[in-house]
Amino acid sequence: MSGTRFIRDQRFFEEDNASYVAEVPVEDAPALETSEGKFLGKSVERYDGYHKVSGTALYTIDRQLKHALAARALRSPHPHAKIKKIDSSKAEALEGVMAVLHHGNAPDIPWHRDSKLFDTHLRYAGDEVALVVASTADVATEALNLVHVEYEVLPHETRTMEAMDDRAPELHDEGRLQGGEPATYARGEVEPALESADAVVSRSFTTATCVHNPTEPHNSVVFWDDDRLTVYDSTQGVFAMRNTLAEKLQIPASSIRVICPAMGGGFGCKLELSKHTVMAALAARQLGRPVSVVLDRREMNLAVGNRPNSIQHLRAAGTRDGQLTALVTDSYGMVGAYPSNAWMNWPLVVMYQCPNVSVTHRNVYSNLGPGRAFRAPGFPQGTFALDQVIDELAEALGIDTLELCQRNMATASQASGTPYTSKKLAECYERGAEAIGWSTRRNREPGSGAGPRKRGIGMASQVWGGGGGPPAGVTVMIQRDGSVQVVSGTQDIGTGTFTILQQTVAEALEIPLESISVRVGDTDGAPYGPLSGGSQTAPSMTPAAWSAGLELKQALLQGVAAGAEVPLESLSYADGEVRGTEQNWSLAEAMQVMREQTLVRTGLRAANAEGKIICSFGAQFVEVEVDTETGRIDVLRVVAAHDIGRVLNRRLLENQFEGGIMQGIGMALMEERVVDDVEGKVLSANLLDYRMPVMANTPEIEVIIPENIDTVANNLGVKGVGEPPIIPTAGAIANAVYNATGVRMTELPMTPDRVLMALLGAEEVSR
Amino acid sequence: MRNFTYLQPENLKQAAKALEKNEAMVMGGGTDLLDLLKMDIAAPEQVLNLKSAGDAELRTIEEKDDKLRIGGLVTLAELAADDRLRRSYTVLQEAAAAAATPQLRNAGTLGGNLCQRPRCWYFRDPEFSCLRKGGDTCFAIDGRNKFHCVVGGGPCYIVHPSDTAVALLALGAEVRVRKGGKTRSVPIGEFFVLPEVDPQRETILGDGEFVVGVEVPAPGRDTRSSYTKFKFREGWDFAVVSVALVMDKAGGIVRGGTVALGGVAPVPWLDAGGSAALAGIGGQDRRLDAFAGALLAGAEPMTENEFKVPLTRNLAKRALVELLDR
Repeated sequence: MSGTRFIRDQRFFEEDNASYVAEVPVEDAPALETSEGKFLGKSVERYDGYHKVSGTALYTIDRQLKHALAARALRSPHPHAKIKKIDSSKAEALEGVMAVLHHGNAPDIPWHRDSKLFDTHLRYAGDEVALVVASTADVATEALNLVHVEYEVLPHETRTMEAMDDRAPELHDEGRLQGGEPATYARGEVEPALESADAVVSRSFTTATCVHNPTEPHNSVVFWDDDRLTVYDSTQGVFAMRNTLAEKLQIPASSIRVICPAMGGGFGCKLELSKHTVMAALAARQLGRPVSVVLDRREMNLAVGNRPNSIQHLRAAGTRDGQLTALVTDSYGMVGAYPSNAWMNWPLVVMYQCPNVSVTHRNVYSNLGPGRAFRAPGFPQGTFALDQVIDELAEALGIDTLELCQRNMATASQASGTPYTSKKLAECYERGAEAIGWSTRRNREPGSGAGPRKRGIGMASQVWGGGGGPPAGVTVMIQRDGSVQVVSGTQDIGTGTFTILQQTVAEALEIPLESISVRVGDTDGAPYGPLSGGSQTAPSMTPAAWSAGLELKQALLQGVAAGAEVPLESLSYADGEVRGTEQNWSLAEAMQVMREQTLVRTGLRAANAEGKIICSFGAQFVEVEVDTETGRIDVLRVVAAHDIGRVLNRRLLENQFEGGIMQGIGMALMEERVVDDVEGKVLSANLLDYRMPVMANTPEIEVIIPENIDTVANNLGVKGVGEPPIIPTAGAIANAVYNATGVRMTELPMTPDRVLMALLGAEEVSR
Repeated sequence: MRNFTYLQPENLKQAAKALEKNEAMVMGGGTDLLDLLKMDIAAPEQVLNLKSAGDAELRTIEEKDDKLRIGGLVTLAELAADDRLRRSYTVLQEAAAAAATPQLRNAGTLGGNLCQRPRCWYFRDPEFSCLRKGGDTCFAIDGRNKFHCVVGGGPCYIVHPSDTAVALLALGAEVRVRKGGKTRSVPIGEFFVLPEVDPQRETILGDGEFVVGVEVPAPGRDTRSSYTKFKFREGWDFAVVSVALVMDKAGGIVRGGTVALGGVAPVPWLDAGGSAALAGIGGQDRRLDAFAGALLAGAEPMTENEFKVPLTRNLAKRALVELLDR
């Protein structure tokens, strides 16, 4: 390696700008400039595909350990209460029950800001009260009913606006707003801009709280070996989990191993350590036996995060020549009972060129399960509102929406003035519009289609970070027989990390995929990998793997030169071989001639370019059919045109787009956490009442990716693709519904009841 | 889930005897019962698996004496695939095919479908002690009631979840109920119980009584029927509103017929006004709005379910237009 240095990297991650100190190579590996490599860019099969399809993939709960116990959490039935007394004697007397952990007998471990692992102050229905450990999950479940808890029930509030009222309970010492006060952002001066504009539109929007509901629930299997703790966990970050566990349990991180070999989805809810994992670790230590804990679907819907709701009041102003001159929002979002983030205003701040912007946002505490990052946190709900007022403003100005977007494309970050490493949004707009038939098939007059089933076309734009960055490392080892092993502390959360690392190393060393094995999702012996969130895994890890591969090439040449006693200059590397003037060496032969057992290099992700910002961009164009007699919306077609840098694997990329768009359709049309505000309880804590899209809801999806090998961003020119697909979907659908019906849907989800009543209401007004 | 004794009678006689002695819950396909047990909504001492009874009458569909006899253990999938139903009892075939998912239709039985418990989210949540579970409040009144009833409610406001019951009501079917050695026939309109009569039960079934099948009078040669189900999600969902339409048609004119509605009332709802307005429609007579307007007379929507009224009327109108052309 050419040596390293330490830098401070500032970049956008998930919800906000973040700063990382990272060790990076002084010089990065040469970039791969070609768009279609021998392996990169090809739709090779998933590395773990066979195991997933055949059922032999081992997920967390498949680790059935000898003598393992099962644990279940007892949760508060009240939205707000204090525990006066716990009597677990009856539960403990049940045959098979091994322990009941609660605030009276478990260590005091701090959690969130001013609460504890086992807190006596319960702030939402679903908050953890105790952990029951028993011989089987059934026994533990039975024992839950036998733990007697005396509660002092306190007043609760689950409505966003009311939860800010002086009469609402205060859940934390900082008050009813997280951070104690509203969060603000401003540039330019909005008032004069609003006054001098040719058109100003103003509209309010609400979006419902959505729940991640991955197929695989949260679950952990933990055991101790002396003072070493091993945790199998369904997690989006094995290193992050290990480090937080070390902090909570006050043991060295080096004594903890976190393993997540296969995973059934996270979407953000598995980015952070949950209480049940720490409780299980405490129980396993106390009992000297492995403990497994699996959340059921009800717990999944109550206690492990959500995309917070939003209430947004927007104003947008523009001039007749198509300049966006002001954007103003006043917004609210419910973070729930503990700190999270309901901010949704980044699209408004950075999507379009706009000199005057003002934002006031409030993160409101309430007696409901706290939010967690959910695929592009804040961006889908922000875009839903923003791109509807853009659509409305365009109409008011007499300009085509697409044209208004094109005229106001930002050339540099609107927040910092920093130029982008690359931006192919113009091509996305152009090709997306062409594919959907924007100029020919759209209703010139919204709602003008004949008959009760009306079709319409709409669009929305996307901006996101997702450039990744250091610190991140990938180790590549060539064994004596020439086989290659890739090891990294990143993880594959179902998105294809195994596969793209295999492809990258195959590309670098020019060797077949089959000769490369990959191990990720294990902290032991692996270089650091960041959380798989913020679309950062591919752009952080593959450039590091590329570097490791290229460094190994050099090492092979040097090793063969020394071993075979030939001049280094006489050797070259091609097609997975070291080539000399008289002889070629395969990897196995090269290893043998240099008498090495393993040849190891760890590639480190290089620093991001200074003075530039990496963002992905895109636009989605949607065609819908609205049944005006039932209120039902069918999404017929989605064209997704996005600049996400290099395509590593087209098939994996389309998987990401299909999944993200379907999640966007769910958010737009049906997903909604329903709460009884009188009782303070969630009514939709199952997959029948919390509706998610099914195959029948799947439209035709066309994915368009402009060629963009952004080697200013990193040596492979990769940007992340996890989050961009979901960002514009709901906004584009809403605009398409407007184009179909002439009625604006300002409330998500656009369920048939809301659509039907909105259409009837509009009919009434026009009468 | 509480522990229970599992009874497996070999035949109907044994089943009837066991049910006279025990307060067992009867299981058909078990698709609803399992949920109720798991959520602690039902905690019976005994569960009787009727499927262990070998009697053919429980499992067959038979045309006899101008009647169609369907055994209580016939699955929804079998109903959906039956050609006799498709031809002459279309509304029932379509209702069975529209229920649940393929997996659930393979397991779920007609008897179980008629006797399933409501889907009200307050009833299904063990933490709400609602009227239907012996409590003293219907939480839907001041709570979230988008999916609750618009007619026939009070003091409880559930909707009946069955698709097949709505179709059978429109067809004028009778439910065959057995107790001990005796079997009686109950018109399906009298089989279901309104909450004003008893908010804790959905059917008239008393101690020891269970459903062994249904009998459907054969429709006339000019009878046409259809089932229109509106769901919030295309697959795996209960009816938000459904319309069962059975009518006699001659020369393109409706002579008379029956409209039964699902998703709007605590029981499958026979809509008298809508049924009466059917006669005469067809040909030049397109009094569709009058027909639609006659439906759901006296509806009293709750705070969040007003949409069910126009939705029902629009669906019924659409169903009628489509059936006129069939």
